[in-house]
Amino acid sequence: MKFQGRSISVGKAKGEVIKLDEPLSFLGGVDGSTGELRVREGNVAGKILVFPKGKGSTVGSFVMYDLMVHGKAPAAVVNESAETIVATGAVISSIPMIDQIASVRLFEDGDIVTVDGAEGTVEIEGIVFKEVVSSVVSNGDKCILEKRFETSRSYPGCWSLVAGKIEDGETPAEAAKREILEETGIKVDEPLGQMDPLYVREGKTLFKVYPFHFDAEGQEPVLNEENEKYMWASVKDAEGLRTVTDTVLVMSTFLK
Amino acid sequence: MYKPLIIIIGDADAVNMDLTREEEAILNGEQGAGRQKAMELVTALGKIYGADSLIDITSAHLSGASYKTIGDGGLKYLEDLVAGGAQVSVPSTLNPVGMDRTRWKEMHIKPEFAEKQLRIIDLYGQMGIKKTCSCTPYVGPNVPSMGDHVAWAESSALSFVNSYIGARTNREGGPGALAAAILGKTANYGLHLDENRRPTVVIDPEIDGSVFSYSLLGQAVGMAIGSGIPYFKNISPEVEEAKALSAAMAASGSMALWHAEGITPEAGNFDISDLEVIHIGKKELENAYDKLNRTDDVQLIAIGCPHLTEKEMHQIAEFLKDKEKKNKDIEIWFCTSEAVREKCAEDVKIMERFGPVLADTCMVVAPIEGTFERTATNSAKAGNYLPTLCSQKAMCRDITALMELVL
Repeated sequence: MKFQGRSISVGKAKGEVIKLDEPLSFLGGVDGSTGELRVREGNVAGKILVFPKGKGSTVGSFVMYDLMVHGKAPAAVVNESAETIVATGAVISSIPMIDQIASVRLFEDGDIVTVDGAEGTVEIEGIVFKEVVSSVVSNGDKCILEKRFETSRSYPGCWSLVAGKIEDGETPAEAAKREILEETGIKVDEPLGQMDPLYVREGKTLFKVYPFHFDAEGQEPVLNEENEKYMWASVKDAEGLRTVTDTVLVMSTFLK
Repeated sequence: MYKPLIIIIGDADAVNMDLTREEEAILNGEQGAGRQKAMELVTALGKIYGADSLIDITSAHLSGASYKTIGDGGLKYLEDLVAGGAQVSVPSTLNPVGMDRTRWKEMHIKPEFAEKQLRIIDLYGQMGIKKTCSCTPYVGPNVPSMGDHVAWAESSALSFVNSYIGARTNREGGPGALAAAILGKTANYGLHLDENRRPTVVIDPEIDGSVFSYSLLGQAVGMAIGSGIPYFKNISPEVEEAKALSAAMAASGSMALWHAEGITPEAGNFDISDLEVIHIGKKELENAYDKLNRTDDVQLIAIGCPHLTEKEMHQIAEFLKDKEKKNKDIEIWFCTSEAVREKCAEDVKIMERFGPVLADTCMVVAPIEGTFERTATNSAKAGNYLPTLCSQKAMCRDITALMELVL
């Protein structure tokens, strides 16, 4: 699957992803002569280096040049948002680079990807893309969490918000309402709120998740066959449970 | 089954730079690999900041001159540029380097460092850059005019020329400014545009008017607002005060432009009646002072950040002329440009009784961390960077108070 970002530094490269979840300072963060990372295990040499954005000293640009001189440069750089230090380092060191990909969470270590610096694209091999909704259905400061069966294909045994796949021809909000009706029997009005989509990887599946918030005051769910049981949970309750990725983040955004 | 799919996210490529035919030709390599690389860098940076075109510049000032700050990667980069025949196409000057070119032994510099540092200066020279290495080029070799578009790195100097002279530059990085110098062009965004030069906040300060009070004022404003374009009331900075204010605000915050009512050339262009007013008084200045003072006991007193002007050299020499250095344990460095040192030969004689007058270097870009642990300065800028870039515990007082430590 191919994603369109923005061209920062030209050139094309294919390789294996090494990903950082935090902004990276090349000065101090990477050894300029060996490519060893100091902020986590691993080495950037020949890899597709994915991280949110650069930070720290402007000398970082020259650390990237140093890597190139030693033959230890990353094959390409992918950022959420480019800033001067890394963009400068990539251009002067002839490292292909793109930015404006939605999230580093599109990627996992070991993914085989192709970066086209001139076109501004990145293609991840062998992943399946699914657009889903995930709704906080609330009563006061609590919302419905559903427990998935241990035999469930996705996140078995985990607690989840009211979630499901967006069908062809549906808007995300329509899908959210339909899923709530199917899974809980509750008929909700228009959403109270929605967040920008989140990206979640589970193995080779990439989920684009549209989070919503609906009010269900005074209503009690009646589950269908998809889930084992439910509970009304506060953010604090959810923190103690094994939940689907980002459940607590979405709950704490909507349940003030 | 794996199905290729393109997903368009965000405003990717929403901004396309409008390049002239000649600029396109450079980008396509028709004027050689060196200029192509420079164009790739300037356009990449322009894209990041939403520039829609390039603009001609009249001068450049480059940072990334000290071996301490650019390392072997930077040195190799410069070597490769020179090997590729890179030449600047506008008058360009260089920031301070990691040592005095001839007196580096007095700075406890190792020969390997000195060798690489001299090589770096030589490489910049081969690209046509003036080998005067100062953070105050605007008092001598590189003076922009009002309205000039320039590409300057060195946060204190670019803030000075933006504010006190009314030239126009963004906060360029070292390689970006060098690429701009090679092309004679930089990306047109930010402070090159009228609408981005408006003040964002009014500062109403209460200071005693000394150079040191401007340094503390800048520190306090940086701590109060972090970024933005301050409009000052009730101050009348001359060059030295404007230099201290620019440097302090660019280090404690990220300010690259300020206005002063009745003083700076663009101040009269703006209606400030709707802006928030921030008062900086005794309490704020004390907080700024406390932030910069983390030791009472120092090994080195370093003065001249930014570089001392002729007037400051005269003042220091006048203060010291009948005095004697009693405390031999504390070293003193005075930092200025080679040009000012040459012009102030009489002052230098007096000052040298207290410590070396070093040219074209400073306490921040020299590798002092190999020799000292506690350093005093009169500069809020150095006070910010000594702990982070030089691993020092810092003291920050005015020059006379610092001199009292050794009298």
